[in-house]
Amino acid sequence: MAEEQVVRAEGLRKLFGKHAALDGLSLSVPQGQLYGLAGPNGAGKTTLIRTLCGLLRPDEGTAYLLGWRMPNTRVRSQLGYMPQDFAVYDDLSVMQNLEFFGELYGLRRAHVLGRANELLDLVQLSDRKRQRVGTLSGGMRRRVSLAISLLHKPRLAFLDEPTAGVDPKLRRSFWDYFSALAEQGVTLVVTTHLVDEAQRCHIVGFLMAGRLLTQGTPSDILAQTRTTNLDDAFIALQERNQVRS
Amino acid sequence: MTSFAVMKNVLRRILRDVRTLALIVILPLFFVLLYGNTFSGSYSHLKIVVVNADNGLASVRTAEVGRVTLAVNLASEFVAALDPGTFSVVTVDNADEALATVGDGVWAALVFPKSFSNTVVNEAVRAGGARNFEFEGNKVTVLPGDPVDVPLTTLAIDDSNPLVAQAVLAGLDAAFAKVLDTQQSSLTVNSLLDVRPLYEGKIKMLDFTAPGIIGFAMTLITIMLTAMAVVRERTGGTLTRILIAPVSAWQVTLGYTLAFSLIAIFQAAELFIASSLLFHIRFVGSPVAVALVIVLFAVGLQGIATLISTLSKNEAQAMQFVLFLLIPSIMLSGVFWPLESMPASMRPFSYAIPLTYANSALRKVMLTGHGLGELSFELSVLAAIALFTLFLSVLSMRRQAYTA
Repeated sequence: MAEEQVVRAEGLRKLFGKHAALDGLSLSVPQGQLYGLAGPNGAGKTTLIRTLCGLLRPDEGTAYLLGWRMPNTRVRSQLGYMPQDFAVYDDLSVMQNLEFFGELYGLRRAHVLGRANELLDLVQLSDRKRQRVGTLSGGMRRRVSLAISLLHKPRLAFLDEPTAGVDPKLRRSFWDYFSALAEQGVTLVVTTHLVDEAQRCHIVGFLMAGRLLTQGTPSDILAQTRTTNLDDAFIALQERNQVRS
Repeated sequence: MTSFAVMKNVLRRILRDVRTLALIVILPLFFVLLYGNTFSGSYSHLKIVVVNADNGLASVRTAEVGRVTLAVNLASEFVAALDPGTFSVVTVDNADEALATVGDGVWAALVFPKSFSNTVVNEAVRAGGARNFEFEGNKVTVLPGDPVDVPLTTLAIDDSNPLVAQAVLAGLDAAFAKVLDTQQSSLTVNSLLDVRPLYEGKIKMLDFTAPGIIGFAMTLITIMLTAMAVVRERTGGTLTRILIAPVSAWQVTLGYTLAFSLIAIFQAAELFIASSLLFHIRFVGSPVAVALVIVLFAVGLQGIATLISTLSKNEAQAMQFVLFLLIPSIMLSGVFWPLESMPASMRPFSYAIPLTYANSALRKVMLTGHGLGELSFELSVLAAIALFTLFLSVLSMRRQAYTA
């Protein structure tokens, strides 16, 4: 039986004025994989995620999520999305934020509370659940945002820079959690501008100027570039690409 | 120098924002064009109904030929003397019918009795002494006779708008003065008119403007609150998060509408209670009818605010769009100035403003005690505006997901 491609994009092109934020990009992600989308700022990571989620209409190409051609409202209940900005209500408490979004996903209150406590343990905010989000630090707000994105146990989650501004120890526990989710069959597409961080992913895609420079397992990429870490691999691929163009 | 740097930075940022720049340039011009075209200072198209039962004859005693009957037709002269720029005159035959129309789009009804000319000529002569008239081609001097029983001319007037009522009286006064001047008389218009104000002069200027001002306050607060909230939700990213959840745009729009309608209703109640307690504004109608007007009006305002939020990139732009809407609302909706006095070119704009209908409906209920049946036109228009803007809001909410 063929492996299910939970994310499938073909020839995505997205223009902002004359600038191509996505330039004929294709990719596919099988179910239960932790896919790391790495690249520098402005590479097109957020545009790709927003296009895949149906928040931006591509000028060319098509995207399929969970077998549905996007944009499609039917995938929403199975989709988790953590935007790059905090996208939380500063004037509400941590728990009130979680309760509200839980209601939008049709979750029962008791279920929301249980799940919220579980996630707040993960993001280490259990002692702040009654605190107003606006009074938390940037890193903490990002953690609230992550908890909201995973609240409804999505089958597929797009997490845009979930570890930005998060301290190294907590970052490690996040990646552990992402791996655990993938083992449970959840597919995750995680962006990071810290290329080396993508080492923790099953598949890594290097994005540059709206195009995928390469895609593969971290060990394949290291072998392909004859480097010892993903930072060096990315630089090597970037230079190779510049020579070609 | 630091201040100069701050100033330069502020101006540079504004100059880069084409939409804000356009609003800065256009808004004052828009304001001038509106007030120049609206506040002309004169009334026009004031509808009045005239019943002319005057037989046009005056029975007088003359120095030359004794008692004769003169043909003078003073009521017709009076009607002809009415300023056509101010009044739009409709002549009918039935006095009761004419009086019944007052307050229903007709500002005044004037009923001339059969003996109007007879009364005026005799009273004029009595007030001013002997006067020369023409009888069968010869000049005759009319002598003061016995006082005639003065069957007064009835003037029923809609005094729901004190300003218009004053303008109507002034216009009638001027016409009477013209006619009476030709009789060289010191007779005054007041002695000939039986003025019957529809609301017995109980409606003060404050009562008249209060419904419109309350409606305007609602427009201001509701639109600003809603537009700012939606823009903030979009720029903060939470709207994207909401719209990517398994909820439809109409559910989100409805949620917003319910929340802000509740706020609007609370504010309206506060406005009504405070106005009643502090300034004793007139409120003779049904609170239920007022509540219905407020709800429909509030829903329409939500829709407009959501549309404004779609057009605005940020809160500052939303604020400027709100001003574009608020200025015509206060100037063109008849809050201070009746629609009849607007230049014809401005009236289509008046009819496109929700406050025009809310103001009219609230006035009918609060000032004159009209019931729901008599508000059917205003309520239908407000309901249509509410549905239409709600529909557009849903479309705009869908679009917001892609522009967030």
